Amino acid sequence: MRILRFFITRIFLKRWILVLGMIILLFLANYVSFSTARSIISTFQGYQELETLNQEGTFVANLDPNSEADFDKIEIDETQKVYEYLNNNYTYALQANGFVTSLENKHNMDVAFNYINEEAYKINQFRLSHGNHINFNYKFNKEKIPILVGAGLAKTYPVGSNIEITDPVTQQLVNLNVQGVLEENAHRSNFYAPNSKTYFNFSIFIPVNEEFINSAGLDLHVNGLMDIVLLDSTKDETMNLKEYIQENLGLAFNFFNQQENFNYFENYYVNSLKIICTITFILLIIIVCLATWNTLISIRLMIKDFTINLLVGLSYSKLRAIFYGYFGILFSIILAVLFGITAFNRYSFWLRKGSTFATYGIFGLISLDWLALLIVLFIDFIIGFTIVELTIRKIKSIPISVGVLQ
Amino acid sequence: MNSIIKLEILEKTFKKKDFSILNDFKLEVEPGERLSIIGESGVGKTSLLNIIGLLDTQYQGCYKLFDSSVKDLSRNKLAKWRNQKIGFVLQESALINSLTIEDNIKLPLMYANRKKDITIQDRFKRIVNKIGIEPILKKKPLDCSGGQRARAVFARAVIMNPQIILSDEPTASLDLENREKIINLLFDMNKEFNTTVITVTHDLDLANRHERIITLKRNE
Repeated sequence: MRILRFFITRIFLKRWILVLGMIILLFLANYVSFSTARSIISTFQGYQELETLNQEGTFVANLDPNSEADFDKIEIDETQKVYEYLNNNYTYALQANGFVTSLENKHNMDVAFNYINEEAYKINQFRLSHGNHINFNYKFNKEKIPILVGAGLAKTYPVGSNIEITDPVTQQLVNLNVQGVLEENAHRSNFYAPNSKTYFNFSIFIPVNEEFINSAGLDLHVNGLMDIVLLDSTKDETMNLKEYIQENLGLAFNFFNQQENFNYFENYYVNSLKIICTITFILLIIIVCLATWNTLISIRLMIKDFTINLLVGLSYSKLRAIFYGYFGILFSIILAVLFGITAFNRYSFWLRKGSTFATYGIFGLISLDWLALLIVLFIDFIIGFTIVELTIRKIKSIPISVGVLQ
Repeated sequence: MNSIIKLEILEKTFKKKDFSILNDFKLEVEPGERLSIIGESGVGKTSLLNIIGLLDTQYQGCYKLFDSSVKDLSRNKLAKWRNQKIGFVLQESALINSLTIEDNIKLPLMYANRKKDITIQDRFKRIVNKIGIEPILKKKPLDCSGGQRARAVFARAVIMNPQIILSDEPTASLDLENREKIINLLFDMNKEFNTTVITVTHDLDLANRHERIITLKRNE
């Protein structure tokens, strides 16, 4: 430790520009690895979630990006007709997220109302930390609506408590009764961007039944259609619905089946991830080469210092330990900075009251952040090992000689 | 008397330069002996010093130091012996410029883990006093004169009270006065502690002041 401190303070830091260069390079390597690792893990998690939809007979709606949709022309009567048609002919999962409203809570966060029907609820398989699952057989406007709340609302609205509020989609005063509390960081991935997630820590889940849909406004009707999932259906049936929606709402929908979803994921996401991984790998190679070059330059500049130390009792094994210690410290500093940036990034969602992104975790980091940091740590071991061993090899290739000092 | 150095080199080759030196070279040195090695440039004087000083073990032959075969010693053991049994008196430039003179002199103590050892502290004070470098202890090498730096290099070489001092052109680039000081210090160590002194030099006058002179010649 004493020798390591001596080398760092008296030898390496005397060429601080090289140390700074090394820190910048290693930080870049860590940041690139971290971002890629997080993206891959998040995409993989998202894909696993969405895989539950990749069943035979399941079709996921997607507004045709090439169609010209005019939402202003859509009337409530027309959407009602579409839902009647849906109710009469199809089994479907409906989930409409993100109707933000003001509801008093301990953290002063905006609260997102999410509407979900029974089929979608079954697919999501939410896990609860307290209370019971909701039922969908309530009488709208006659009974209290059973709801689930996110973990962030659990203290203000514990199981059994009631909330009286004007519902944002029916615009009616409703009485909600908290049945259960979602586990911390309950989330859902976007169907067409599996690495993008919506967190439900400050959300309320309202069960939607036919009666509720009939009372709801245009917002829920249209939003609900955007991600609607048809279950136990056929391609012909989806074509019928596609035509019905086109006829009544003027919207062109596609319904993707299991294979099409899989192909989309393969063609778009897997390929994107392959490109990201390749670029990351190339960047890492370049950064490691630059870092090694930086070290070799440092050695050339410090060879006299190393030789004098070797003359008076330093051994190669101690020198190797010194380099491992030095890079260990550099990587620890860089990981701490990376950790700080990630923690601040997560915390900033709380500061900005971004209720659909605010997460719970140790220092605000969620499991995928920790996993990505672990991967970065592993990559750091490889980078450190490569640089140190190349450095020692280089030093050994220069014979220690009193001649170096003349 | 038993020799502390028994060296038999069959050949020392340089792969990249494709030539060899010190062919069939034999050397025995007794404790307390003063030996100088002379010869023209390129005959292998510094290489010989590297071998004797345990810096180079890549040669054909056999080397026994203090009755131990050097080739059987681990790298850590070699480093330990360089630290405790051998002192290198080099030219005045052989100091780390980012350290003070005091830190340069005390460098071997760090590797011996004896920085706080009272006997060593006393020894440090005595040496510093004797060679008259007290006023420059807190200075950096580049703020000192060549003579002062040469004395600091000497102090570092003897701080651990080594049994062998290897000096490579110790008086090169020094004026007459400083040259004499360094030579006297070397020989005082030899007398006082029976330290073996091996000096590589081009300076015939300095060589003549040793008990034995070895002249290295180029291989035929």
